[in-house]
Amino acid sequence: MNYLENGHSLRSWLGSTDHKRIAILYALAISAFFFVGGAAATLIRLELATPAGDLVSHDTYNRLFTAHGVIMVWLFLIPSIPSVLGNFLVPLMIGARDLAFPRLNLLSWYLYIAGGLIILAALFLGGVDTGWTFYTPYSTMFSNSWVAVTLAGVFVTGFSSILTGLNFIVTVHTLRVPGLGWFKLPLFVWALYATSIILVLATPVLAITALLVVAERLWQIGVFDPAHGGDPLLFQHLFWFYSHPAVYIMVLPAMGVVSEIVPCFARQRIFGYRFMAYAILAIASIGFLVWGHHMFVSGQSLAASMVFSLLSFLVAIPSAIKVFNWTATLYKGAIHFDAPMLYALGFVGLFTIGGLTGLILASLSLDVHLTDTYFVVSHFHYIMVGGSVMAYFAGLHFWWPKVTGRMYSDTWARIAAVLIFLGFNFTFFPQYLLGVQGMPRRYHAYPPEFQVLNLFSSAGAVVLALGYLLPLAYLGWSLRAGRAAGANPFAATGLEWTTPSPPPTHNFEHLPQAPDEVYGYDPNASLPEPAE
Amino acid sequence: MSASLPLERHREAVAAARTASLGMWIFLGSELLFFGGLLMAYLYARTHWPQGFGQASARTHVVLGTLNTGLLLTSSALVALAVACQGPTGRGRWVPWLLGAGAALGTAFLAIKGWEYRSEWREGLFPGPGFALKAVAGAELFFVLYFLLTGLHSVHLLVGVALLVAFGRGTRKKRAWAAPRRVEAAALYWHFVDVVWIFLYPLLYLVNRHG
Amino acid sequence: MAETHESAGFARRARRLLLAWVALIALMLCSLGSAYLRLEPWNAVVGLAIAALKSAIVLWLFMDLARAGALVRIVAATALATLVLLLGLTQVDYRTRRPAPAPLQPAQQLRTPSGALR
Repeated sequence: MNYLENGHSLRSWLGSTDHKRIAILYALAISAFFFVGGAAATLIRLELATPAGDLVSHDTYNRLFTAHGVIMVWLFLIPSIPSVLGNFLVPLMIGARDLAFPRLNLLSWYLYIAGGLIILAALFLGGVDTGWTFYTPYSTMFSNSWVAVTLAGVFVTGFSSILTGLNFIVTVHTLRVPGLGWFKLPLFVWALYATSIILVLATPVLAITALLVVAERLWQIGVFDPAHGGDPLLFQHLFWFYSHPAVYIMVLPAMGVVSEIVPCFARQRIFGYRFMAYAILAIASIGFLVWGHHMFVSGQSLAASMVFSLLSFLVAIPSAIKVFNWTATLYKGAIHFDAPMLYALGFVGLFTIGGLTGLILASLSLDVHLTDTYFVVSHFHYIMVGGSVMAYFAGLHFWWPKVTGRMYSDTWARIAAVLIFLGFNFTFFPQYLLGVQGMPRRYHAYPPEFQVLNLFSSAGAVVLALGYLLPLAYLGWSLRAGRAAGANPFAATGLEWTTPSPPPTHNFEHLPQAPDEVYGYDPNASLPEPAE
Repeated sequence: MSASLPLERHREAVAAARTASLGMWIFLGSELLFFGGLLMAYLYARTHWPQGFGQASARTHVVLGTLNTGLLLTSSALVALAVACQGPTGRGRWVPWLLGAGAALGTAFLAIKGWEYRSEWREGLFPGPGFALKAVAGAELFFVLYFLLTGLHSVHLLVGVALLVAFGRGTRKKRAWAAPRRVEAAALYWHFVDVVWIFLYPLLYLVNRHG
Repeated sequence: MAETHESAGFARRARRLLLAWVALIALMLCSLGSAYLRLEPWNAVVGLAIAALKSAIVLWLFMDLARAGALVRIVAATALATLVLLLGLTQVDYRTRRPAPAPLQPAQQLRTPSGALR
């Protein structure tokens, strides 16, 4: 009996400590939040299609982009790959029956839902207008919006993150099948391990910062108020100490997904496995050293800005190593352009562009001009949407057969991938140009000379939205009428593919054997059956 | 004796203990960073307002603070002894009493802390419109951080007391859930709360006692 | 035989805990005492150093970090290093900013705009 058949009541789902069911609970929740955040984005792009601020008031616009940021960062991106794909796959990939603390895993989900509902409540009450960054003193002293409630929600979801990270770390250390040494682990596991370290170390700082803002807002404690002897920049240091590593929480798992897919569809072992593993650790560590690059124009000292600028250049090195290694993995491979591969290749290209623009922004002298313009907006959307969201979709498509036991239409999946890729670039590339030309972010009206590019961007957003809606159709269809997937439809390596699709509740009938080598692909071996 | 357990069960028990301990240590790591944010605020404020911090700190109740530190250190020693009594030592009967004693000392700490807070309220040391040291730059910020730090610490201490009481009961009734590895994890948490206070003591009570 | 071995082991451990406790109380009193001596600018350093020593005793002996295995020690060290990083790297900003403090003034805002819990 597979895990999907093991109980059909609501209680069997909502009370399940099976990591696979919890993964699906997360998947449903984050999808719902994705569409709420997407709705906010739709209104933003509709407003920005014309120069005049004619769709919504400036105040409403502020609440829209704040809602978009808060929901997309904390309720979608941060949990997406770790809590959905990570939860489902990590135990399978290491040959375990479940995570180290299954009940803690369920608690994590409930904390996430509680925090999410609090944030939604704040949204329905009228939302927040501070931006997802909650800069002081505006958020603590002047904003007439639901700051404290929203931050309470963020605080609660933070603990969900911390417990998930804790669970993964202990799991990877203690539940690997005998013989599965660290350098035989799939890179996805390495990526989630490093992500978990960031989750555990960085998120608490966000939690205390949220607490301080709420305390200042409610009781005027003054830690961020110069009139009381405090410092507004103290908030920014604390906030970005978390929020910069947070972007690596969003990107490292994505890189892990890509590292699973590219070897499979190039039919070659990953190039430079050890360097890929070390690069993951390097990104996670150096990522803690660079937060001040968000504060170049905040009033931070020049010396500190220079230090942070230099350190920010360093973090590009391991990222570049990964891009080179994915590319090298393709060389002389037998490349198949199945939907997961299209998404994964999309990630590599778009992450590269986003990464290069990140270097531009890391340069102190350039950032002074580009900060708070659409250049920054485009940069982080290239990484987070062109990168992380694409990788999430890649993983969703790659492991869908394993999770559901069904195949989907690869043709439609490829159409969606192309639509998303094109829509994404049409939406966000113009924004680089707008930024260089000086259009500031977080404004609902703009000078008429920026209209053409904005119109392009909004038109692209329509295509992107269509691309995101399409999977609902063909993936939904696959659940009803998709062809039964075998245990290993893509002839992939990895222990998760050695068990039936969908897996039994306890994952494996017999304890799996550690493989001889981790990506044992052979480009000359016979090709897997093409999907429908 | 461990030699009489089936090897398989022994291995599983050792693995479970390792898992519980590792999990708690990682959680404590996150708690360190949680308090760390407040410590950062403290570091900022003290380096900017050294005089104010000195004068304000002199208004804390050093005798009570020192007594409290002693209580917590002692309770930590008792809880550590409780953990040592577990396993094949023949002193398992002591465990519930030691845990209970630890909880009692922790409760005494909270009572004294409450008394301090009441006294500080009476002396006008609560930040806000009625703050008594408004003329001293940085003094109010000191007390903001004093109440935040000791308040957050007290919340953690309360959780710790609850854990010790629960495990005290559980071990006395020999419940399965009160397994040694969980007692050990609870003890680690208790020691962490002690370590936080070890740092809060000089940072809050001893900034400038010679001025 | 096995029983006396376990007993002896326990007695050793209990003795170590007692010594640790004595050391901790003694250090606490040293910390208190040193605060009353004029050691500026070293008062803070002494206080924190003693606290660090006390914490090391609690970590090493009470929390059994000595016997807990390399992994747990790495976990503890990593968390501590991250905290040091947070405090230390922000000081790069604070130490190199040129302060121009405004005189202490009454707060501009005593309540949040609506006054309600938001």
